[in-house]
Amino acid sequence: MLTDFLQLTVAGLSQGSVYALLAVGLIAVYTVRHVINIAQGEFAMLAGLGSAWLVAAGMPLFLGVLVAILTVTLVAIAMERLIIARVKKLTPLTSIILTLGVSTLLQAIMLLAWGPEAKGVPLFPGTNILIGGVSIRSQEFWMIGALVVVGGGIVLFYEKSRWGKALRACAEQPVAARIVGISPVAASVLAFAIAGFVGAVAGVVASPIYLSLWSGGVLLGLKGFVAAVLGGFVSFRAAIVGALLLGMIEAYVAGYVASGLRDGAAFLILILVLVVRPQGLVLKPTAVRV
Amino acid sequence: MKKSRLRFIAPIAVVTALALAGCSTSNLGGTADADPAAEAGPIKIGAVLDVTGVGASLGVPEQNTLTMLAKQLNADGGIDGRDVELTIVDNQSTEDGAAKATSKLIESDKVDLIIGASRTGPSLAMRPIAEAAKVPMISVAANIAIVEGSQWVFKTAQNDVVVIERILDDAKAKGYTKLALVRDATGFGEGVADYITKLGAERGITLVMTEAFEPSATDFTPQMTNVRGSDADAVIIWGINPSAGLAQKAYVQLGVNKPVYHSHGISNQAFFDAAGDAANGVIAPMGRLLVADQLAADNPQSTVIDQFKADYSKAYSEQPSGFAGHAFDAWHIAVNAIDAVGTDPEALRTELETAKWTGISGVFKMTAKNHSGLDASALILAEAEDGRWNLLKD
Repeated sequence: MLTDFLQLTVAGLSQGSVYALLAVGLIAVYTVRHVINIAQGEFAMLAGLGSAWLVAAGMPLFLGVLVAILTVTLVAIAMERLIIARVKKLTPLTSIILTLGVSTLLQAIMLLAWGPEAKGVPLFPGTNILIGGVSIRSQEFWMIGALVVVGGGIVLFYEKSRWGKALRACAEQPVAARIVGISPVAASVLAFAIAGFVGAVAGVVASPIYLSLWSGGVLLGLKGFVAAVLGGFVSFRAAIVGALLLGMIEAYVAGYVASGLRDGAAFLILILVLVVRPQGLVLKPTAVRV
Repeated sequence: MKKSRLRFIAPIAVVTALALAGCSTSNLGGTADADPAAEAGPIKIGAVLDVTGVGASLGVPEQNTLTMLAKQLNADGGIDGRDVELTIVDNQSTEDGAAKATSKLIESDKVDLIIGASRTGPSLAMRPIAEAAKVPMISVAANIAIVEGSQWVFKTAQNDVVVIERILDDAKAKGYTKLALVRDATGFGEGVADYITKLGAERGITLVMTEAFEPSATDFTPQMTNVRGSDADAVIIWGINPSAGLAQKAYVQLGVNKPVYHSHGISNQAFFDAAGDAANGVIAPMGRLLVADQLAADNPQSTVIDQFKADYSKAYSEQPSGFAGHAFDAWHIAVNAIDAVGTDPEALRTELETAKWTGISGVFKMTAKNHSGLDASALILAEAEDGRWNLLKD
C-alpha cells in the first residue's frame, strides 16, 4: 500500500517538475509583459522533436539536446521581436490571440517537418533504481534535477542578480524602472528567452519517457498554466509548489480513482482556484513577488 | 498585477487553448439519397483515416498504402478502363471528424465506396452514416462491433475476439489462471474485458483486474503500480502505439515482472520506437506480415506479402506495418468487387458479401453473416526480440 503510494508520488513529482518548468516560463513572460503565452507548451515539443531529430541524424545526445534548447530559446526571442514587440497596444486578450496564432503556426511547422507520429529522445544516461519496492527511473531523476537546477537557477537569478532585479523592477514599477534606465526592450527579450529556455529544457528531459508530439504542447502548456495560476501568476515558488502538487494529485487520481479523470483533475483545480482563491498559493498577495 | 483581471483572463485562455486542441463541433448531418451510380467516368473511392492525432501510427501507413495502390491501378489502366479517383480525408483521430468526413465524401464527393477508419471509435461513428446512405464501407479497424449486424459495413483487421482467444489459449497452455488487463479507454478497448471474462471462464482463467488508459496518455505509473500489486499471473496490455509501447516501457521499468501479452494493435515499428528494449519478451497475436521471412515456404499468403513488402519499401523506404496490410486488403477487396459488378451500390454490397481474398491480414471469406471474413487462422503468435518479431506459433 505504502509502496504504491510512494510509487505514484515519484511519478507525480517527475511529471510535476515538467509542469513547474512550464509555469516558470509563463510567469516570467507574464510579469514583465502581461502576455499569457499560449505557445509555452509548443516550446517544449519543439525542443523535444528537434533534439530527437538531431540525435537520430547522428548528433551526440547532449550536443543535440543543447542545440535544440538554444534554438528554441532563439525562437522565443524571435517571437518577442517579430510579433509581440510590434503590437502597439498589448492587452492580455490580444496577447492570448497572438500567442495562439504562434502556437498554431509552430504546430503546423512541427507537423510538416517531422510528421504526425510521436518521437522520443533516447534515454539520458543513468540507471533505474529500486528502493523498498519503489522503482525510480533514471529519467525521472533528470526531470526532477532539471527543475532543481534550472528552476532553482531562475529563482536565484531573479532574487540575486542585477538583471533579475531589473526584471522584477519592470514587473513591479514599469514606469519607475524605465526612469532609472532599465530598458523595457531588453527586459522583454530576456523574459521571452527565459520562457523559451525553460520550456525547451522541460521538453527534452520529458521526451525520453513521455515522447514529443506536434500536437502535444497544448495540454502540457495548459497544465503549466494551471500551475502558474496556483502561483497567482506572480510567484515562481508558489507555482513550483503548485505544479508538484498538481503532478501528484494527477497521479493519485489516476491510480486510486480512474485514469480517465486524470486531466479533469487539473481543470477542476483551476476552476476551484479561480473561484475560491484567485491569488493561488501565494500567502502574501499584496506585493508582486517574482 | 490585478487579481480580478487574472480571474477574467484565465478562463478565456483555457477555452481558447482547448478550442485549439481540436474540439471542432460542426457536423453536416443529414444524408442524401445514394447517388444512382453512373456507370461511366471515374470510379470514386473515399478513405477516412486517422492520419493525425493518436491514431497517426496507423493512419499514415494506411494513407501511404492506398495512395500507392491507386497510383499503380491507374497506371495499369484502372478498372474496365475507368480511372479510380481516391480521396483521403484525415479525421484527426476523432469520432466527429470521422462522421463529418464520411458525410462530406458521400454528399459532395459522391463516392462509390468508403475505406476507413483506422481505429474502432471513428469507424463506429461512420457506420450509421454509411448504413443510412447505403454506401459500402470497409473499415480497417478491429472491434467486431463495427460490423456486427451491419448491412453495408465490412472490415479487414482481425477481430478482437479471435485475438483474445489466441492469447487465452497460450495463457492456458502456460498454466496462467489469473490475468490482469490494461486497456485502451477508447473504442478499441471496449468489450475486451467482457470477452476475456467470458472466454476465460471456458478455460479456467479469471480476469482479476482491469485498468484503462487514454491513447494520448504518456504516464502509465498509476496503472502499472496497481497491476504490480495484483495477484495476476500474467498481464494483457491492449492498445495501439505509441501509448501501448509507452505502457510496455513503464511496465518493465516499474518492475512488474509478470509475462505480458499485447494485442495486434502494436504490429508496427512504432512499438519498438516507444518501448525500446522493454519490448523484449512481449508476446502478441498478429497477422503474418511482420514474420514473413519465417513462414513456411508453401504458405498461401507468402506471395502477396512479399510483393507488398517489396512495393511498399520501394515507394516509401521503410517496411510496411500490419495496418498498411489492413488497408491493402480493404483496397483489393473493394477493387475486385467493383471490377466484378461495377459501382451500383446494391450489387456492390452483395458482391462484397461473397468476397474471397488471400491478403496480408489473412485469407478472407466474407459471408452475409460475417462481414469481417477472417477467423483465428489469420493470426500467428510472435515474440519480440531486439526490435523484431520471432514467429512462435503459426
